[in-house]
Formats: sequence, C-alpha cells, structure tokens
Amino acid sequence: MGLAGHWALDALRSSRRIGAFTLIALGTLVTKFGASPRVIRPRAQEEIVRAGVNVLPIVCFLGMALGVVIVGQTVLLLVQVGQTKLMGPLLVTVVVRELAPLTAAMVVLARVGTAAVTELGTARAVGEVEALEALGIDPIHYLVVPKLIGFTVSIVCLTVYMILSALVAGYVVAFFRGLSMEPLEFFQVVADALSWVDFPLLALKTLVFGVLTSMIICYHGLADPLRLEDLGRATTRTVARTLIASLLVDALFLPVYLLL
Amino acid sequence: MSDVTVVHSRSPRLPLVAGINWEVLAGECWVVTGLQGSGKTALLETAAGLQPYLEGQVRVFGTHVQGAEGDELLRMRRRIGLVFDGHGRLFGSETVFENVALPLCYHGNKSLEEAFEEVTSFLKLMGLEELANQAAGRIARPWAHRVALARALILRPELLLVDNPLSALDATHVRWWRTFLVRLLEGHPAFGGKPMTLVLATDEPRPLLGIGQKFAVTHEGKWRCLGGRAEFEHSDDPELRELLDERD
Repeated sequence: MGLAGHWALDALRSSRRIGAFTLIALGTLVTKFGASPRVIRPRAQEEIVRAGVNVLPIVCFLGMALGVVIVGQTVLLLVQVGQTKLMGPLLVTVVVRELAPLTAAMVVLARVGTAAVTELGTARAVGEVEALEALGIDPIHYLVVPKLIGFTVSIVCLTVYMILSALVAGYVVAFFRGLSMEPLEFFQVVADALSWVDFPLLALKTLVFGVLTSMIICYHGLADPLRLEDLGRATTRTVARTLIASLLVDALFLPVYLLL
Repeated sequence: MSDVTVVHSRSPRLPLVAGINWEVLAGECWVVTGLQGSGKTALLETAAGLQPYLEGQVRVFGTHVQGAEGDELLRMRRRIGLVFDGHGRLFGSETVFENVALPLCYHGNKSLEEAFEEVTSFLKLMGLEELANQAAGRIARPWAHRVALARALILRPELLLVDNPLSALDATHVRWWRTFLVRLLEGHPAFGGKPMTLVLATDEPRPLLGIGQKFAVTHEGKWRCLGGRAEFEHSDDPELRELLDERD
C-alpha cells in the first residue's frame, strides 16, 4: 500500500511538471510563432524527416503486418460466420480508431524518441543549454518547439499511412484466401462504417499523441537536472511514462467513440 | 551588484560567495581571481543572468536581473558575451561555422547562406577560418576556447565575461589572447572601435596583470575588491598572499 501510494504521488507530481512544461512549450510555440523562422523552420523540417520520413518504411511494414494478422483473419472469419456487415465497423474500430494511432506513436517513441532523450539530456548535462541561454536564445524555442512540431506532424501522417497499409495488406491476404470482394467494394464497406466525426477525432487523437510524446521526451531530456550517467534511467522512464500516458489518453477517447 | 550572495550551480540554496558589492563601469577591465571552486564561474553566470542568487541585487545595464523575465532577460543577455571555461560549451555535433553563426542567424533571422560572408570574415579575424567545417566537438581545447570567444563576440556585446581565458594554453595561444583582449579593451575596429568592458575570471592572475585595470578576489566564501594593479601586486592581504604563494 505504501509503495502504491508513493508510486501514485510520484506519478501525480510528474504529471503536474510535464503539464506545466507542455504549457510553457505550447505558449512559446504561439508567442514565438514567427520568430527566427530561418533557424526554426529547417530544424522542424529536420525533425519531420527524422521522426516521419525515416520512420515511414517501418510504419508501412508494421501496418502490413497488422493487416495480415488482424484484418485478413478478421475479414475471413466474418465471411465464414456470415457476418460481413460487421466487417466495416470492426475494421474502423480496431484499426482506424485504436491500433493505428497508438502503434504509430509507439514506433516514433521507440525509433526516434529514445535517441532524442539522449540528445537533449547530453546537451543539458554538458552545459549546451546554458550556452544557448547565454546567447539570448530561448532553449524551449530552439530545442523543444522543432521537436514538438516534428513529432506531432509525423505521428499524424504516419497514422494515415499505417491505416492504409493495414487495410491494403489485409484485403490482399483475405482476397488470396478466398474473399469474393472487389477492392473498391471492400474500401466502400470501410468508408461506409466511418462517420464524419471519425476524421476530427482521429486528427485530435493523433495530435494529442504527438504533443504528449514530444513533451514527455523533451521534459525528461531537458527539465530534470541530469548528469550523463542518469541518461539511461531518463530514457527508460520516458518510454514507460509515454506508454502509460498514451494508453490513458486512448481510454479517454473511449466514451466518445461509444457514443457514436 | 550590491550585497549579493552567489550560489552553487547544482545547489541553489548553497551560498558560495557572500557580500559582493561590485560596480563595473563601461570600458573597464576587471580580473577576478580565486582558487578553483571559489565561485568565480558562479559569479560570472550570475552576472550574465544565468544563475539565481540568494540575496542582494544584481543590475546589468540598469536592469534587475532577478526581476527580468522572458524576452527582457534574453535581450539583456544579448548585450553580454559569456565565454565558458574549457571547451566553451560549444555545440559539439555542429561545425565551428554553425556554432559561430547560430546567434547571428537566430537573432537576425538569417539562413546559414545569408550569414556566410559575415561569419567567414569573423572567423578570419579570429584566426579560425581553417577550422570552419570541423565538428566543434573534435577540435583541441585551445581552439575550442577561441571558437567560444568568437561565438560570444559575433553579436558585438557591450560586456564580455571570460572564464579562465588563459588556462591550459600554449605560449602562442596565450600571446594571441592577450593581444586580442588588449585590442578589445582599446576599441577593436571590428567592434566599432568602442572600448569593450571586460571581466576576466582566472585562478592564475599573473599572466593578466598587464591587461587588468582592477582586481578582485574570491576566497573562502568572501569577496574583496583590491583596486588597481599596484594595490593588487603589493597587497599584504594574507588571503591574497596565500592564493599567490600557492602558485609559486
């Protein structure tokens, strides 16, 4: 009980700090939106390439694996039990609303996020952050805002690619195993199951995942006083906290989806 | 600074030097000396508005450092050049050119291409043009310290704070630094010809005797202004003698 209480208090304290850090970063993004664009824009583009373009192949591969394992089998099962009318709602619920956004965020976290914690933590530990401040450069604007933009844009776009690759791969597998449905007909079934609210909700969910992932990464890299030997622990903590936070956010969307 | 207590950078509640009453006038060159760990670096970082302090008031260019926030603080810092000790806290993964260009690009909203000419001529002035494309994390310490000086000067600050300018340098670098600092003090044409205000912190004051106009010492948590060069050299202050004798 004592341990659970300690853990809960620690989680609350961290949430409060990360929340404050997020507000500062979002405030900086808004108030310094047009400041030094020739320095900040290339850095944001670099982050989009790092967290988005470079991660695209693995996201497509995972999307196809998801398609083969989940979509292909589910579709065939529904055909076997004569419940094809459930195909659309099931695919939308499982792939579009739940798995794709969460998996895209987790891939970005694993592939780029851990490296970003080390990069920021090293900058903090060797005094590069103080050097920026001494030059009159706001470290949040220079180091955090490009990551916030880059990670968020990447997670939003990668989710779309993951949904598409999962559905395409799922259809191909189901087709070769005897699904008698034309591709257009299959995608029409999925499209019919989508309501208009799904689009803003998906955009909102992926945006929240992007902001959350980038902020937890930047917080653990920058805000906690770090020594080089603490970097490993900070990285592990980042992964665990981002995973938990993403699942909690995912759960918050559940009542909204149930009302649809 | 009036009645200021500076603190340890990693322990903001731990006083390092207390009772600092210090006024630096435009165009002066101060040498602040003391043993390693006596609080010289903390003092410079406090003056640059990078570190909080426990008591007293710090005013730089008329602005209260503790009360300044956000853009006001950043604007004040742009008028101060701070050269850190050692490798100068350069951005190790970026090139020397990118390190020096960063403040210019950020504050002037320029791309690296647009800043190329100005930065290249600046690097030439500092004798760094051959290192321009090397990663800053891979160059030797004396050169890194000079790159840090170039980065601090590119915005043409009014006040330059240098931490241990001559430590661990060979004779050639020492000569270069002394000549350059004297030219800054006299008014370097590249900086508008106006004498620059200098504060040099060092644990070995003797090589700076010919440059410094006023001297102060931090020792065992206390601050003492010693006056000009003659007072410094002939001071019978036991703490200063202890500090100087340890070097003999």
